[in-house]
Amino acid sequence: MKRAKIVQKRFLGTSFVELWLEEKDIAYLASPGQFVMVTIGSSYDPFLKRPFGILACQENQFGLLFEIVGRGTQILSQLEIGDQVDLLGPLGNGFSLNPKEALLVGGGRGLVPLYFLAQIFTNKKVPFQFFFGIRSQEEKVLIEYLSQLPIPLVISCQEELSGFYCGTVLDAFEDWRQHHSLSKSTPKIYACGPQGMFQTLAKMDDIIPNQIEVSLESRMGCGYGVCLSCAVKKKGLPGYFHVCKDGPVFRLGEIEL
Amino acid sequence: MNLQVHLGNLTLSNPIILASGTAGYGREIAPYLDLDRVGALTLKGLSSNPWVGNPPPRIHETYAGIMNSIGLENKGFDRFFREDLPFLENFQTKIIANIWGKTIEEYSDIAKKMNGLERIDAIEVNVSCPNIEQGGESFSSNGQVLCQLIQNLRQKIQKPLIVKLGPNTDDLNNVLQFMEREGVDILSITNTFPALAIDVENQSYIFSRKTAGLSGPAIKPLALKLVYDVIQRTRLPIIGMGGIMKTADALEYFLIGAQAVALGSVNLIDPSAAVQIIEGIKAYLVQKNIFDINDLIGKVR
Ligand SMILES: Cc1cc2nc3c(=O)[nH]c(=O)nc-3n(C[C@H](O)[C@H](O)[C@H](O)COP(=O)(O)OP(=O)(O)OC[C@H]3O[C@@H](n4cnc5c(N)ncnc54)[C@H](O)[C@@H]3O)c2cc1C
Ligand SMILES: Cc1cc2nc3c(=O)[nH]c(=O)nc-3n(C[C@H](O)[C@H](O)[C@H](O)COP(=O)(O)O)c2cc1C
Ligand code: FES
Repeated sequence: MKRAKIVQKRFLGTSFVELWLEEKDIAYLASPGQFVMVTIGSSYDPFLKRPFGILACQENQFGLLFEIVGRGTQILSQLEIGDQVDLLGPLGNGFSLNPKEALLVGGGRGLVPLYFLAQIFTNKKVPFQFFFGIRSQEEKVLIEYLSQLPIPLVISCQEELSGFYCGTVLDAFEDWRQHHSLSKSTPKIYACGPQGMFQTLAKMDDIIPNQIEVSLESRMGCGYGVCLSCAVKKKGLPGYFHVCKDGPVFRLGEIEL
Repeated sequence: MNLQVHLGNLTLSNPIILASGTAGYGREIAPYLDLDRVGALTLKGLSSNPWVGNPPPRIHETYAGIMNSIGLENKGFDRFFREDLPFLENFQTKIIANIWGKTIEEYSDIAKKMNGLERIDAIEVNVSCPNIEQGGESFSSNGQVLCQLIQNLRQKIQKPLIVKLGPNTDDLNNVLQFMEREGVDILSITNTFPALAIDVENQSYIFSRKTAGLSGPAIKPLALKLVYDVIQRTRLPIIGMGGIMKTADALEYFLIGAQAVALGSVNLIDPSAAVQIIEGIKAYLVQKNIFDINDLIGKVR
């Protein structure tokens, strides 16, 4: 197990927190799509660690960005700079990093692994376009966060929000595709967001689910492959994949949602 | 200092074992824990053929514990043989195979296969599985069926035979006597406790199978009582488990008379917990001026 010190902390609005942690192995090794398992609290309460995607790495530090959704994330949000957390990582497989061209599609906290990916693509000079959607005004902080990166962005909000596309991120994505004749080499699609987004994506016209990489969430007991809690059904085959070991990145066509 | 313990004809370099289902087949936990430091590694439950297990969700957190409904998912003997057994050859630590089946025949089948593997040092039989020939009730919920199963397996297994009991064994006194007569070598106590959780938001069961197995600190006092009860009634050596998180928890089991202990849920949240517990036991023995762990076992009677 590793121990990391919190070196930066920032609330984004009231329900998102950005944390930067100092742990050089994770910072050097992590790749977009990978995650860490973080111990919450100190007396086995809550009992299980919590999984969080890696947001970015810088020298010997790495970032997390999480949404407060329950007790564990609530407790984590109360930690302060200088506090230490125990964790495992980097875990999981991560996205493929060598497409000719890419389209990134994210919703809500699905921003996290794609933000990391966008930075890597920028450095590697892979041409890409980032589609990002939020459900409501409250998540506007995520747009502001993402807008700090000098990257091509299409942003949508399901509520009316001045200056942005009104609809789901997939509506915006579809609209964009109709107005842009895609180059001969079809760009690779990378997606992270809620379950419903993946389901809709799989049904869209001219989409080849096996060419789309998606990063999944699931309930996890261990995060490193021993407990078999993190099952996701294989498509067209008997049995399950395990999100922590076989994923969290899968081809959209190989999983049953 | 001596940490070596003898459980019948199974000798362990120290009495800390990794419990079935919480350490994979060794490979998964090896990056975090030197397998040669533990007394034994118990493999995830294996059946002769692969088994897909239950649909998600498979895990649910409770106060001080977890409920699991993995449904005994496993890759089956053949894949274990190809993918994991060679890795285990790199270690000296004792390997305990944990086996299960849906019928007595399926148990016999996997028992014979495991018995034929040199690298396997002992075989632990999980009897808390649904018996499809008896309407899906657990093998351990019918004393007669359980004795039949044990008798059958004892004939197939020449290696040390461990029977792993759950909290609801039918006709326990007779079953214990039968196991002694038949030559069962060791008992493992306990498996998870059947438990229930409701999803209040959706007004439904959390798990598709409704009930699930509770483990972790929540069950420790209950598990300790089960071990205590069985110790009064049998001379078979016992591997105690249930809710061990730290050294003091393990010591409770030794003091009440368990010859070894197994760590389960704690591995999920800290894969190197076993080493810290072993070090903690050494420190305790030094502090109490005890040279041999065996002098500690059963001190509280
Ligand atoms: C690989 C991976 C990467 C992740 N990355 C991020 C990230 O970068 N940022 C982020 O904010 N979150 C991320 N998550 C999700 C995050 O782990 C959970 O939000 C967190 O564990 C919730 O903990 P909690 O104690 O606050 O909530 P809990 O109290 O445990 O749960 C709150 C509510 O959500 C439900 N719930 C919890 N987990 C799940 C689940 N997996 N599926 C369905 N329902 C669930 C619970 O039943 C409960 O109703 C990731 C998850 C995975 C598996
Ligand atoms: C995720 C998980 C999987 C398990 N799988 C098995 C199994 O395959 N066979 C078995 O006999 N016991 C299995 N168990 C039970 C444990 O080996 C152990 O008996 C139980 O969890 C109590 O110990 P603990 O409180 O330390 O976890 C499993 C437990 C957990 C938490
Ligand atoms: S979370 Fe334990 S195996 Fe994936």
